[in-house]
Amino acid sequence: MNSFVIANSSRCIGCRTCMIACVVAHEGKRIFEIDPDGYAFNPRLFMVKTVKLSAPVQCRHCENAACKQACTSGAINIGNGTVSINSKRCIGCKNCVVACPFGAIEIIKTVEINKDGYPRKIASKCDLCQGVAESPQCIRVCPTEALSLVTEDILIGNLRQKRIDSLNAWL
Amino acid sequence: MVDSVKEIQTTCCYCGAGCQLLFTVDQKANQILDVHPVNGRTNAGKACLKGWYGWDYLNDPQILTKRLREPMIRKDGKKSPLKIVTWDEAINFVADNFKKIKEKWGPNSFLAAASARGPGNEAGYITQKFARAVIGTNNIDHCARICHAASVVGSMQTIGEGAMSLSIPEIEDCEIIFNIGYNAPVSHPIVARRIVRAKEKGAYIICADPRITETARIADKHLQLKGGTNVALVNAMAHVIISEDLLDHEFVKAHTKGFDEFWAIVKEDTPERSAEICGLTADDIRLAARKYASSKHSVITWGMGITQFSQGVETVKCCCSLAMLTGNFGHYACGTGPVRGQNNVQGTCDMGDLPNVYPGYQSVTDPAAQAKFEKAWGVKLDNKVGIQLTRIPEFVIHEKNPANRIHAYYITGEDPAQSDPDLEELRESLDEIDFVVCQDIFWNKTCLHADAILPSTSWGEHDGVYTSSDRGFQRIRKVLEPIGNILPDWEITCRIARAMGYPMPHYRNTEEIWNEVIDLSPKFTGATYEKLEKYVSIQWPCWDKGWTDKGTMFLHKDGYFATPDGIGILKTSPYHPPAEVESKDYPITLCTVREVGHYSVRTMTGNCRTLRNLEDEPGWVEISPEDARELGLKHEELVRISSKRGSVITRASITERVKKGAVYMTYQWWVGACNELTISILDPSSKTPEYKYCACKIEKLPDQKAAWAAVNKTLLDIRMNMHIDITRQGVSA
Repeated sequence: MNSFVIANSSRCIGCRTCMIACVVAHEGKRIFEIDPDGYAFNPRLFMVKTVKLSAPVQCRHCENAACKQACTSGAINIGNGTVSINSKRCIGCKNCVVACPFGAIEIIKTVEINKDGYPRKIASKCDLCQGVAESPQCIRVCPTEALSLVTEDILIGNLRQKRIDSLNAWL
Repeated sequence: MVDSVKEIQTTCCYCGAGCQLLFTVDQKANQILDVHPVNGRTNAGKACLKGWYGWDYLNDPQILTKRLREPMIRKDGKKSPLKIVTWDEAINFVADNFKKIKEKWGPNSFLAAASARGPGNEAGYITQKFARAVIGTNNIDHCARICHAASVVGSMQTIGEGAMSLSIPEIEDCEIIFNIGYNAPVSHPIVARRIVRAKEKGAYIICADPRITETARIADKHLQLKGGTNVALVNAMAHVIISEDLLDHEFVKAHTKGFDEFWAIVKEDTPERSAEICGLTADDIRLAARKYASSKHSVITWGMGITQFSQGVETVKCCCSLAMLTGNFGHYACGTGPVRGQNNVQGTCDMGDLPNVYPGYQSVTDPAAQAKFEKAWGVKLDNKVGIQLTRIPEFVIHEKNPANRIHAYYITGEDPAQSDPDLEELRESLDEIDFVVCQDIFWNKTCLHADAILPSTSWGEHDGVYTSSDRGFQRIRKVLEPIGNILPDWEITCRIARAMGYPMPHYRNTEEIWNEVIDLSPKFTGATYEKLEKYVSIQWPCWDKGWTDKGTMFLHKDGYFATPDGIGILKTSPYHPPAEVESKDYPITLCTVREVGHYSVRTMTGNCRTLRNLEDEPGWVEISPEDARELGLKHEELVRISSKRGSVITRASITERVKKGAVYMTYQWWVGACNELTISILDPSSKTPEYKYCACKIEKLPDQKAAWAAVNKTLLDIRMNMHIDITRQGVSA
């Protein structure tokens, strides 16, 4: 089963440290040294604030990912417990953006320039920091520990507990 | 690890939480390789976005402003161009001008502003020593004046000590947390963490705030009161506590006085009466009061939301009184928490950078303290309380008699031309002052009005001690070698002092200065560098240099207050409305707030790459959907906001988290600079401006393209004025 990061809105204080951590993980620490206009700032999780809630929203890494099914260029893959976008194959058709029920995918402008002189735009979303860091960096930096990684074990463990609780509720 | 790679622990340069950060530095390349939080007394291994990612201004990316690298003076008189000179020439120029002004107009024509930011306690000590011993005036102040001065004054008058009575970690063990005018998730995420944890441990959270802040969102009870009605609320809570007999009689009898006078005032403030003023229900006020009084582990935390009002001091006094009435002082996890905004604003108060006290809160009017400092510094000292920095306009453009005016203003690590209220009035005042010195790490708005600019080292480029908001002394350490012809603040000030003929000692390091501080300040005497090295954080009072005195976690132990007779004084005042209320021309109220990823006047965070990516110019004005609908506004659209004093362009943030009739602007923006609009009316005793309430109007800008062009033109002008010579991308919709 794929893992995913989830936010606990009663712990989240809306500070967005997670969003910067995401960019730093994917762009590398060089961004603290280079020309401030020389990199793209594209967090892969999105802070949402309503009257009652504050929490970042990000990819749920669906088992039957609608984005993968909608992808026209075969750029979205499932493997290693994640749904990932192959940025080289992405043509920016936006089908995945439309298909995603969580609003977790967006089209970003990269610093790459296409042959026609326009900036290359591709789909971008959470990849659980696979290949860029040892663990999702948003979880690591959160000052209130509002984010956590939900793995198959945790999910099954929670289910077990919920079932016990529901039985106990009858006592 | 390569030999030149070192790990250095230091205290974060943002906010009073005092987080411990570990830097990995390549000393040979003079480059920071990694920064992450480590376990400290207050932060427990956590940091917010500023702690994690707020350090790259050190390598001068020149986004908003540029680092100062050379001393500069206007040799050929006011308004002549600034010229780069040697340190000797700059120091002599400043010393000569200070001397001339002192001779012509007397010592009280001088005012110094110490820095509550990067320089640290040692520099703060030297700044006040300079004002007092070299110039001969108590006209020494710092930015606490515009934030928590009301907390210091109000707490001093009631419980005798102006700092947080409890420590940050204790907050998570409180049972009732009453937040009033305090939004920790934005001002101190690391304190917010304690509130979140307290809630998970079962604490009941009350939040009094006109907006649905993050604090309000996680609160059990949100009192969404009308702005500017704090006194009415806290008085009514006191009314409930007394009239429903929820008092701690034993505590009140043994440890307080002034009950009858206090009751005479709050007797009138019934919940019904205050409910009408505050826009709340009487039942909600009763509930909050009953909850607050229900525990011996109740804490009141507050911030600028109560202090930046003309009744700031009165609100603070009543908050302290609520804690006394309910016996919530003197034991673990209770008390009062005025949580300090800047990294070293507590320390700058500690160091006596205030017009009424020497280091260690020793009064300038106390002959014994005066004699002690006269002996230590070898000069006669003035026993008259000095003037506060918010009174600059009063003592410059509004003072007819030149003999009573301020003629020299020595500003270190502050940018009043961005942070003070009514900026037009402030700029006029700066230009009227004969001699203005700006000592800073960045070009800022105040530099444009300075006759001399003295470049200093930043946090990360020098050693020292900061005091966290909960009285915790903690070391800061040099991480990088400073680049350019720049010096530590304390050294610059010492050099000016010597050039003026005062025998300022040749301190070899900050520890030598610190030793002088602690030997003159009984409350700090035990906090030696050696002990700070070992214990990392020592909360004052720490009286004894022996290893067993590790400082004091909470104040007023067993109800013995820091007042002269050890008795707390119950005090408050009747409510009165803010100075400038809504009118036909200006029908909306403006309140200034802050942005979590930015800090102070934004010279630092505005030059941090990722922090500016998250939020950039021209800032925001938060407005209710109802008001936005009436004005025909869309979310993120540029609008013009104006008051009687000024007008700026910013973006509309339409949110249900604010009520109709009130708008909110973060004060960090230079294009959407809200202090062009704010009013310079002051609290009568703390002299803190009423930033949180003035009348304004909002206008739709039909030509958005032209408005964006205007924003980018202003930004370009700012960058040129700040001497940035790199072409930078503007901001866009």
